[in-house]
Amino acid sequence: MSAPFQRVLIANRGEIAVRLIRACHELGMEAVAVYSDPDIHARHVREADFAVRIGPAPATESYLRADAIVEAAVAAGCQAVHPGYGFLAERASFAAAVEAAGMAFVGPDHAAIAALGDKLAARRAATAAGVPVVPGTLEPAPIDRPDQAGAILAAARTVGFPLLVKAAAGGGGRGMRRVASADELPAALVSGSREAASAFGDGAVYIEREVLPARHIEVQLLGDSTGRVVALGERDCSIQRRHQKLIEEAPAPGLTEVQRRDLHAMAVRVATAAGLHNAATAEFLYDLEGQFWFLEVNTRLQVEHGVTELVAGIDIVIEQFWLAAGRPLSDRALAAAAAASRPTSAAIEVRLSAEDPSRQFAPAPGQVTRWSMPAGPGVRVDTAIEPGERIAPDYDPLIAKLMVHATDRAAAIERLRRALDETEIGGIQTTLPFDRFVVRHPAFLGGELTTGFVGDHWDGAAERAVAVRRALVAAGLAAIGAEQTGIGGPAGLDSGGQGLPGRDGAETAGRGGTDGDPAGRDGHRRASAWRTGGLALTADRWPA
Amino acid sequence: MTAVAPKRPAEPAGEVGRVDLQPTIDPRAVRVSVTAAGRRDDDPTLTLAPTPLAVLRPVERVAGVGPLGGTAAPRPREPANASAAMPRPATGEGSDGGSGILLDGEPLEARLRLQDRERAILSEGTPGSAGSTRIRLQFGPVRRRDGEGIVTREVVVEGWRVEVDVEAERRASLRERARRGHEAGARTGPVEVHAIIPGRIVAVSVKAGDTLEAGQQILVLEAMKMQNELRAPREGTVERVAVAVGENVEVGDLLLVIT
Repeated sequence: MSAPFQRVLIANRGEIAVRLIRACHELGMEAVAVYSDPDIHARHVREADFAVRIGPAPATESYLRADAIVEAAVAAGCQAVHPGYGFLAERASFAAAVEAAGMAFVGPDHAAIAALGDKLAARRAATAAGVPVVPGTLEPAPIDRPDQAGAILAAARTVGFPLLVKAAAGGGGRGMRRVASADELPAALVSGSREAASAFGDGAVYIEREVLPARHIEVQLLGDSTGRVVALGERDCSIQRRHQKLIEEAPAPGLTEVQRRDLHAMAVRVATAAGLHNAATAEFLYDLEGQFWFLEVNTRLQVEHGVTELVAGIDIVIEQFWLAAGRPLSDRALAAAAAASRPTSAAIEVRLSAEDPSRQFAPAPGQVTRWSMPAGPGVRVDTAIEPGERIAPDYDPLIAKLMVHATDRAAAIERLRRALDETEIGGIQTTLPFDRFVVRHPAFLGGELTTGFVGDHWDGAAERAVAVRRALVAAGLAAIGAEQTGIGGPAGLDSGGQGLPGRDGAETAGRGGTDGDPAGRDGHRRASAWRTGGLALTADRWPA
Repeated sequence: MTAVAPKRPAEPAGEVGRVDLQPTIDPRAVRVSVTAAGRRDDDPTLTLAPTPLAVLRPVERVAGVGPLGGTAAPRPREPANASAAMPRPATGEGSDGGSGILLDGEPLEARLRLQDRERAILSEGTPGSAGSTRIRLQFGPVRRRDGEGIVTREVVVEGWRVEVDVEAERRASLRERARRGHEAGARTGPVEVHAIIPGRIVAVSVKAGDTLEAGQQILVLEAMKMQNELRAPREGTVERVAVAVGENVEVGDLLLVIT
């Protein structure tokens, strides 16, 4: 079987670029990477067969430069462009430019992106298709028209507070603001619009009721050029902060087969009406009464597509490439869709992000000094990070996706707990402590998922305080231990830092290779006296 | 593994003995705190010291930071000479449950078992008993020796990254006394606002000469596509704005000065 294309440009970076390149290589296609200046040594650049520089660090001058990327793809002789998620993935004008340059855009075509990717247009389309939408406005808020302020306020009162300001071009919570009362509305509209303009190049915002408590459940869709659309299954992505997903799983726990079938059918109806090709995801809220409310359609590969791949037994990216090359839906995809309402396994993903979960998940970029990801049965890690990597503040804080797959949800949770225990990250704060908390939490174990989970259950400051005390005790014990054995004298404290290379060398030789890191890296030598002291302690439990 | 013992050079005699002479004022007590850059208001500072008992009985004291749950009877006191620091057979620590550590003056039952150069297990409480914990953690390399005798290193506990300053207790108390004198009367000086995350300035809401209220937005810093609104830490007047829209800032960069 020949490949769908010979050469494909990957218009993205990070873990998703690496994941797309892997699919290219499995299909026997060459991958062309694009990169900004700080990414010159990034993993996705190295994995690709060719790479093209597109600009400096800021995304607006590199990964968001549609013209430069199309130009690079043409110059490199690509037949297709895969946008991944984020950046230009849902920019209809980018898809149109790719198509106009004679290449395939791996995703819905520009008309479908315009019809579905604009959340307001999607809300109108869903309403027309008879699918219930979350109450709110159907047109952009005229924030640049002071004379219209009264109209916005009136609309907001009709929707009811608290409500959400959302970006029409949005995704991942960018440009979104929660508004508790009318007096907060103007500022929220302005700041939401500004963030949306920065993230998407489009500042249009609208308002929508905040449905609480609710679960966030979404349906993975695939469509071909004949107009046929199928659902591969649903995911529960309720555990979020700032409307950005933290943990996703497939299938959504607790739904009946009938509910699944109805949900999938609604999603297919919206997508079919909009002429969807390729891959997209229809997002719904599921309230406590068991009612589904249509939120939006993301006309792209989702971050969390992997859990559906694991449960459905299908590679969505590979399907995307074949669909973009004009093939009809594959037998694999049709079989997966036929079985989608009766899932026979479970998968869970946690997103490891460079964020501080004790400070409202504030960005925590920095340099990764330790990076050891879990492995073993049923574990998949999608990442582009390596030890020594600097997490730039210019891009998304997502640094790895840890997925587990098992026969059922309970087994998947056990597997996830094990995998998280194996995970070692140093140099930056990540969301790992939150993930560890969730997999042990009774509400999560019981499948009681809501979008309020973080606010209801997570006290990051208290969780951190326990760890801080332990860290202090451990560091103190290590320091005293280093002194007490006499190795290096007051090695941890007073020896001035260059401590005792001879002794260190002897210890290293004695332990023979327990140190997995290459010798001579900065920091290791300076730390050696302390560590040597620690090693001496373990001698106490060795046989004489 | 036993090859380590012969490779260990002889220790200078008298190192342990010196401690024996000062059982109540241990020069090797340490003070540990979260490093200044990452410290929160309610983060504690702890003092760890060997107990006087442990000082007199090197084996038990070492066991406090040594292996888990040994069962052998307490060993007799060893002579305070070089041999005390040599590796001993696998007897573990005493079964008296004592860890030989004082935490802020209170006995602490805690043990640290180093698995390799970067990983350790911290156990608190009597192993196997109710309430005892066993936590895996990772040590990062020592990151700083600033000439003041403070050592900084990263400790990662169940995914939480904590940078810890370790300092000899006696030195810490001297330094503290000096600082207290210095600080008296320094309450009303200018406040410098520094960046706590790296990013790009996307909006500056104030200019020099503006009067500020506490909590008022002063600028917006974009990091990882999120807009972070920085607010005034206290009321005052803007003396100087050190950054402009479009500038990239690193952690610790001066943003503005409030008087």
